Parts: sequence; C-alpha cells; structure tokens
Amino acid sequence: MSSEFEIKQENLKKIFYPESLAIVGATKITGTVPNDIITNILRTNFQGVVFPVSPKERFINAVKCYKYIIDIEDQIDLAILVFPSSVCHMALEQCGQKGIKSAIIISAGFKEVGGNGIEREKQIISIAHKYGMSFIGPNCLGVINTDPTSLLNASFARKMPEEGSIAFLSQSGALCTAVLDYAQAKQIGFSKFVSFGNKADISEIDLLYYLKNDPKTKVILLYLEEISDGRELMKAAREIIRDTGKPILAIKSGRTSEGASAAASHTGSLAGSDEIINAAFEQAGIIRCNDIEDMFNTAIALTYQPLPKDNRIAIITNAGGPGVLTTDAAINDGLKLAQFSEKTTEIYKKSLPTTANIKNPVDVIGDARADRYHVAISQALKDENVDAAFVILTPQSMTDIDTIATEICQVAGHYDKPVYTSFMGEADVASGIKILQKAKIPHYLLPESMSKSLARAFRFSQRLNFKNEEVIKERKFETNKANKILNEAIRNKRNYLPEEEAIEILKCYGLPVLDNGLAKSENEAISIAENIGYPVVMKIISDDIVHKFDVGGVVINIKNKTESKSAYNSIITNVKNKIPEAKVKGIFVTKMIPKGEEVILGIKRDPAFGAVVMFGFGGIFVEIFKDVNFRVAPLNDSEALKMIYDIKSIKILTGARGRSVKDIGSIQDSIVRITQLAVDCPQIKELDINPLIVLEEKKGCYVADAKIML
Amino acid sequence: MVTDEIQTKVKQVISNVLKISADELSNDANFIFDLGADSMQSLELVAAFEEEFDIEMDQEKALEIQSVADAVVFIENCLN
Repeated sequence: MSSEFEIKQENLKKIFYPESLAIVGATKITGTVPNDIITNILRTNFQGVVFPVSPKERFINAVKCYKYIIDIEDQIDLAILVFPSSVCHMALEQCGQKGIKSAIIISAGFKEVGGNGIEREKQIISIAHKYGMSFIGPNCLGVINTDPTSLLNASFARKMPEEGSIAFLSQSGALCTAVLDYAQAKQIGFSKFVSFGNKADISEIDLLYYLKNDPKTKVILLYLEEISDGRELMKAAREIIRDTGKPILAIKSGRTSEGASAAASHTGSLAGSDEIINAAFEQAGIIRCNDIEDMFNTAIALTYQPLPKDNRIAIITNAGGPGVLTTDAAINDGLKLAQFSEKTTEIYKKSLPTTANIKNPVDVIGDARADRYHVAISQALKDENVDAAFVILTPQSMTDIDTIATEICQVAGHYDKPVYTSFMGEADVASGIKILQKAKIPHYLLPESMSKSLARAFRFSQRLNFKNEEVIKERKFETNKANKILNEAIRNKRNYLPEEEAIEILKCYGLPVLDNGLAKSENEAISIAENIGYPVVMKIISDDIVHKFDVGGVVINIKNKTESKSAYNSIITNVKNKIPEAKVKGIFVTKMIPKGEEVILGIKRDPAFGAVVMFGFGGIFVEIFKDVNFRVAPLNDSEALKMIYDIKSIKILTGARGRSVKDIGSIQDSIVRITQLAVDCPQIKELDINPLIVLEEKKGCYVADAKIML
Repeated sequence: MVTDEIQTKVKQVISNVLKISADELSNDANFIFDLGADSMQSLELVAAFEEEFDIEMDQEKALEIQSVADAVVFIENCLN
C-alpha cells in the first residue's frame, strides 16, 4: 500500500499534468474569477480536455457545460473548484464520488476568515481524506505549468509566464500576480508557478518534494507567511540540496517578536522567531532573501550561470568610480579580487590603451567599444586565477551599448565561469539590458546587487562541495535520571528549577558542573566548603529570589573557615532585610571557578522549529550587544564549532589583543551536550547557562549558574 | 400563513429571480450548487422574499439560506 506521501506526490502529478480537468463553478460572466480561469486555460493551449461544470450554463466559450461533475462520463484527472465557500464541500464530495484524486480549491472564505470558515476548511479536509484526494488551497490564485506537454494556466493571473527553469511557490496569491508582472518585464521564465493559499492539504513541503524530481525546475523560490512544520521544511530542503543541487531561495514575511516577549530567560528573550528562522534556513541551506527583487537577483544568477568554483573575481569596467564601488561591495561580501596571471597582464598591456588600468578592476576606459570589452572579458575568463567576471558599463557618447551587450553574451557562453553584468543607468542602456536578459546573462541595476548575488552563489557552491566526513563522537547521557527529576518537578506543578536542581540535570548530560552542596546551617556550609576545598562561592537558594546578586545573596572567593562563617551570616541577613517574605531553602556552596571568559548557552522551544540552542557572550554583554547565535537542535561537533565561530566577537575567545586563547573545544562539547538534552527532554521549556566560564586552552569550562523553566 | 402556502410562494419567488420553472424546484435544491445562483442573485432573492412576505431579514443570516426548505423555515420564524 502506498504511503500518504506517495499518494500526495502521485496526486500532485495530476495537478501539474492533467489529461482532463473540470472547472467546477464555471460561469459566462466576464470579469469573474471562474470565467478568467476557464479563459486562461483555453487561451494558453492546454494539452488536455476541459469540462466546465455549471449548474445553469449550457456552454461557455463554445465548450459544453455539465450541471454536475458526476454527469461527466470521461475520467477527470483534476478538478478546479471556484464555487463560493459555502458550497465547496458539496462540489468536493461529488469530485470524490466521481473518483477524482486531485483538486485546486481557488475559493476563499475558509480558515482565513475565522468563525464558520474554520469549520468549512475542516469539512473539506475531511472529505478529501475520505476519498484519498489531495488539493491545493483553498484561498489561492491557482497553478501554472509552462511545460509544453501541459501548458496549464489554472489560475486567474493576468498572464501566462514564459517557460523557464525557476519554480515559484507562494502562500500569497496577490504576490504571485505582482511577481508574474515583474518577471515578464525582466524576461524571466518559470517552470511551475503555484499559489498554495491556506495549505489545508498540500503544503510547501509536499511541493518542494515534487519539485525535487521535476526535471524542468533548476531553482526553487518560496514565499512563506507562516511556517507550520519547520523541522520538516529543513529536512526537505537539506534532502533536495544534497541530492539534486537545486538551490532554494525563500522570503519569510511577518517578522514578529511575540515569542520573545513572553519568554522568561535570556535565551527566550533574545530568540525572536526571526532569528530562529535565519538560523534554521542557514542550517538547511535555504538562502533567505529580503524582498522580491533580492530573491530574483539571486535566482537569475543561480539559474542562468554556472556556480563559481572559488571567490576570485575579475571586474571589467569602462569607468573608474563604478569599479571602486563594485570592489568595495565584493570585499564586504567576502569575495576577493583576482590576481591576474602574467600572461593576462601581458595581453592586457598589448591590447588595451596605455591609459587603461590593466590591474583588477580592469578599466577599459570610457571610449571602449565592443572589441576592447571582448579582449578584457575573454582573457579574464581564460585566466586560472579568475573564478567569475563582473562586467560594468556606463553609457558614454561613444559607447556602442547593444554591440557590447551582444559581445558579452557570446564570450560568456564559451567559458564555464559565471559572468554577471551591470549596465548602469536606465533609458540609454535599456536595449542593451534586454539583449543580456534574453541571452540569460544576469543583469543588475546596481553593482552591489551583483556582488551580493555572486557571494550567495559562492556560498551555495561551497555547501554543495562540502563533504561531511565527521566522526561522530560517542557521548554517554543519563537520560532516564534527568527525565525522572524533570517528571517529578512537573508532577509537583513546578515551572522552574533553580540552580542546584538545574545543575543535577546538566550533570546527567556530562556538562562541566562544579563540586557543590546545599547547606541548611552555618556549620553545614563550613563542612561542605572544607570538603570541596577553598576558595568557594556561597549563594542563596530560594524560589522567591531570581536575581541573587541584587539582594546581596552571593559571596565569592571565600578562602577559609572564618570567611565561610561570615559569608553565610551576611547572606542570610541581606536576604532577611531585602525580601523578608522569601522562603529560603538554604545556601548553595560551590567551588570557586578561576577567572575566565563568560559565555551563555541556552535552550528554547520554537512553535515551528522545536528545540533551539543559543550561544553568545555572557553577563551583561548578552543584553547590550546581543551578540548571540541560534541553531535548531541537535547539532554535531562541526556544526557546534561553526556556531561558535559565527559569533561577531569570536576574537575574544581566540586571543585578541594579548588575551589568552580560550578552550573553544570545551564550549563545543557543551553545545553538543545541551542540544541532545533539549531533544531528549521535551519537558524543558527554556534553559539558561549564564554564565559558562571558559578557561584557557585545554583547561575546560564550568557552569557557573543555570536555571531551567518547565 | 401555513407552511404549504409559504413554500409555494417561496418557490414562485425563486422561479422569478433565477428564471427556473417552479415545478422543477425540489425542496432541498441548493440555490448556488444546484440552481446556479450567483452572488447578485443571492442578494436579489433576499430582497424578493422581504417584499413578498413583508418582512425584514437580517442580511448576514439571510445569505446563509441555501435551499427552498431553509427559506421556508426562516420566513416562517420571521412571520411568527
């Protein structure tokens, strides 16, 4: 028996390549959604049979109508429902009875309107399940497939896009029409174009898996307003990128911080949903874009040109200023200016005017015509030290723009290296830009966009070429013991574990905690201190006190019995004076940690991505500079190490300005351990280790304070 | 007004608005799904019922009426 996944994939095939389709709710009234859809289907030369279904029309656009879908004698592969939402369920029920397995529900008035709409959506989901049907929508613009064997425009978009290699999936229907218009102006074609609306049945994840095996699609673009299953999305993206090398670009709108405002820990308050999405996309290899233009800038680079093997660029320009601007942008984006070989320099010397700059960026001078561009570009692309070329043009009076554009297209086609262009200006360069766009040479209005796109293509290429040959380190965890403590706390309806209990949990996962003990009396405190060995730290333990320092509840560097006695009494007195109603459990005595760098580690749960881990610099820096990183758990050793090195102030740990190098390996180990804890113990809502004190190289790190929210 | 009388009048109104013979109207025929009423005709139906029975119908609730039977029950309640 086929799995639900296989059934959906099979049904999706019928959505994109139906041999027969029915438009249920068709009408003759022009300017309406059902009429536009039927007109679009008929006008774009759809390669299958069309059956309009309308309760009252006899024919539409010279095609015979059927009153009910069950009246059609032929087999139907796809039903497109455009009835009002109040009767969609009746139409879908008949589709089920007719044996139709695939549908697109265009109609709005479901979950998105709330109230009865939510019930209506549940009703159509239930009907689809009953008949083993799959559907796209409701509340969507429809589906377009430009493959000549299908030529399906089952949408109410104003136009059918050109055939191309980019698939576009969007949660917003209105955005789709804007994108189609934008892409047409830039001569960008699509393989598949899908508006999936409320994704009540088929989601972006099902569509991604379908596109994985779609030979017509080279690059996938995704516009999301809501991520319902972040982990599945990451899994699908990883699999597609790994198995097919197809890049996935995504815009995620709705950058809210509602999750952060309700959080009780540092990790919680810093981990807004947007930071987590950034981290998750980065981990999965999804290229996150800021807006439509940004997305298409990168998409054309990835679709039209080969990926760069390395990051060494040649810049060829007919004006100095734009060359410098491009150089700045490229260096900022992590690209390098190529050092030309001696041969290239020789050829440039011979072929370019003496006033030309033959070093990178190559300035072919304002009066350059196509022949000079030809020499400069072709020699740069021949040079082994060059991985990509940026060609810039500014329109001078003698610049033969169209000829230069044609020359670039011809030269670029001879080399397996990416060539991007920027013809700066607008009116004068317009015809040249059209020539480039037609020949699929990426063109950018601004050199900065060109540089950003190549940098993304380079990072994507690095990801594809990265071979993960990591040996998984064996680590042992006392999962049962940790779960027992956590379950006991939940049974007692507690939502917070203070330091002494949090440390017990961390100990089960092998995190470096210090020798400690809880003292209920002065003598007990002295005895614990002497057993551990001086110097020690004493801290107040009370569920009513979260910020121990603020109430004078912490004494550090206690070196002997006399100081122990005095510390114990001063803590008790301070707390009695400041929070007399606090119920004190005792004084926590721990070994004093030698001085080191303070970092913070944490866990939080995200509604879409589940367990998320945070790493950053600790103490007050975490609040002021917010120099923290997030990752979706679990992580392996190399991912944990990358997480540490991605922090802006990493130099503090690697020995900047005469500081000693810190034990980064011990932080890496701690990160791997807490991500496993996060995965194994879902009872932990949030965890803060603040600070984790990191000592010099090979001397380890220690948990100085920790708390767990349940 | 008795139920049968209301039903006959309802069918007559629907027949006039949707241009369908009253004899072809079954009690459970759905205005949109079976009879092909569009959104304008749905509004016309509400107005025609109000005029025929001299009642005022709550617009939102009235648009939830989907069949002859629904309309008869709704109008009967209004009249009572």
